[in-house]
Amino acid sequence: MSHNFYHYPVWVRLWHAMNAILCLFLIVTGFSMLYSDPDNALVVKFQRAVAIHNVCGVLLTISYTLFLFGNLFTPNGRHYLLRIKGVGQRLWQQGYFYAFGYFKGEKAPFPVSADRKFNPLQQLSYVGVMYFVLPMLFITGWALMFPEFILKKFLGLSGIFLTDQFHVILGFLVVIFLFIHLYVSTMGKSPVSNFRSIVTGWQESH
Amino acid sequence: MILDRRSITVLILLVTASLAGSAQEQDTVASVTRGAAMSLYAEDNDQNCLRCHGKLVYTITDTVSGLSRKELMAEHNFISSDAYYNSVHWSFSCLDCHSEGFKSFPHAIETRFETAWSCIDCHGYDPNYAQYKFEEIDAEYQKSIHYTATDGAFTCWQCHDAHYYNPLARESGSGRENILKSNEMCLHCHGNPDIMGLVTEKELTMVLPRHEWLPDPDRHLAAVRCIDCHTRMNDSILVAHEVMPADSAVNDCADCHSQNSILMGTLYKYASMESRDQKGFINGVIFSNDSYVIGANRSKFISLTGMIIIALVLAFAGVHTVFRVIIKPVKKYYES
Repeated sequence: MSHNFYHYPVWVRLWHAMNAILCLFLIVTGFSMLYSDPDNALVVKFQRAVAIHNVCGVLLTISYTLFLFGNLFTPNGRHYLLRIKGVGQRLWQQGYFYAFGYFKGEKAPFPVSADRKFNPLQQLSYVGVMYFVLPMLFITGWALMFPEFILKKFLGLSGIFLTDQFHVILGFLVVIFLFIHLYVSTMGKSPVSNFRSIVTGWQESH
Repeated sequence: MILDRRSITVLILLVTASLAGSAQEQDTVASVTRGAAMSLYAEDNDQNCLRCHGKLVYTITDTVSGLSRKELMAEHNFISSDAYYNSVHWSFSCLDCHSEGFKSFPHAIETRFETAWSCIDCHGYDPNYAQYKFEEIDAEYQKSIHYTATDGAFTCWQCHDAHYYNPLARESGSGRENILKSNEMCLHCHGNPDIMGLVTEKELTMVLPRHEWLPDPDRHLAAVRCIDCHTRMNDSILVAHEVMPADSAVNDCADCHSQNSILMGTLYKYASMESRDQKGFINGVIFSNDSYVIGANRSKFISLTGMIIIALVLAFAGVHTVFRVIIKPVKKYYES
């Protein structure tokens, strides 16, 4: 039997929307810079891409700071607390469900509830992205705007080059995360039910 | 257009002539930009010096016979007062740097052997100039071929005439102007055997034939400073000063046109910092950070690996979707 419960407070939805829009701009402009080509109509013009990327990067830093405060001072933060004990078993259960149990019509091992926003795989990836990948992206992105703070040389390579490459790798991780995030979001009661939830705040459980 | 030896000489003569022309128009120093401040100094002793040295034609008078005649000032002893009073050293009197021997005329023979101050003599170890890192520049200069091959005869002055010095690399708003002026400094000696002969016995080699190996040499020479290839890169000072022997210069395309490019350190870091200093963070970094080096910060391996992983994720999602369409797991769940 399914029932609806209020799952996403307004601030989480607003933050999520802002995060989504900024990340999309950052990804498009990031790829445009990485594959910069004046003759390619698919990529944003280089100088415009640089300006948009920088503006969105600064705004995302502000938005992320608000998110951190939200997690510190509201109950939303508890969804990001990893329980280490038995994590391997829980991840295996969730992975098995996605690969096989889901198709057999089995019940989800860790269904969404008012107390559990993420299943173990989601929780691990969200914690990784929100508490490691994004902060490192901010550090490397801001460092590229203040290059005097970057080590001149590291292991014989230019510090700026390494910082830039690290920024690109982290950017790729965010893109990979985004695709997985979007795909898993289609695995609700209907392909659009989870998308509706993050807009209305109400989650359908099944 | 490929410049040959004659063209380079003509170019330098033209530059020199234009300087001389502007100086002749400034027969008096009254029209210089910083007139008010200048008068404090000019009325003391600069005016006395510039009465002769500020003109290409000066008048000499024999006080005993009362005879006067006009003479040409040797070009290397001429000081364009206009350019001088617009340089960073404009507020100095001549005798702040030159010896008392110059007070009398004819100047004593000793004055010819006076040692000129070098940049480090005044600016070194001074907290007011710490940001310019003169000590590091001096250390680089002493390792350069200019210093080692000339037993120190080559000094700061060969490139930076203190009478006319302006911080071109810092203040030039145009990259092209910066490149042109920077390369003029090199060609001043390397395009003129007589001037080069002042510091070395080495025969002048022709600049352009030595660079014909470059693809499209004209565009390279117009778009790159000589020092970009001929100095050891140092991204902690604005302009690298360790000029290397010719056979150590950059001659591999990949050094610039690739990842981990040597241009990254100098172009990115300093262009970014200078832009921020001049325009502020919002305008200088956020909106007009022109210092990304296209192609130089791209790692094919990382780009390829990233794209392969993204493709695998999408392929996995595609396969998963196909199974979802065939098996209809959600419907199956609710039916059970």
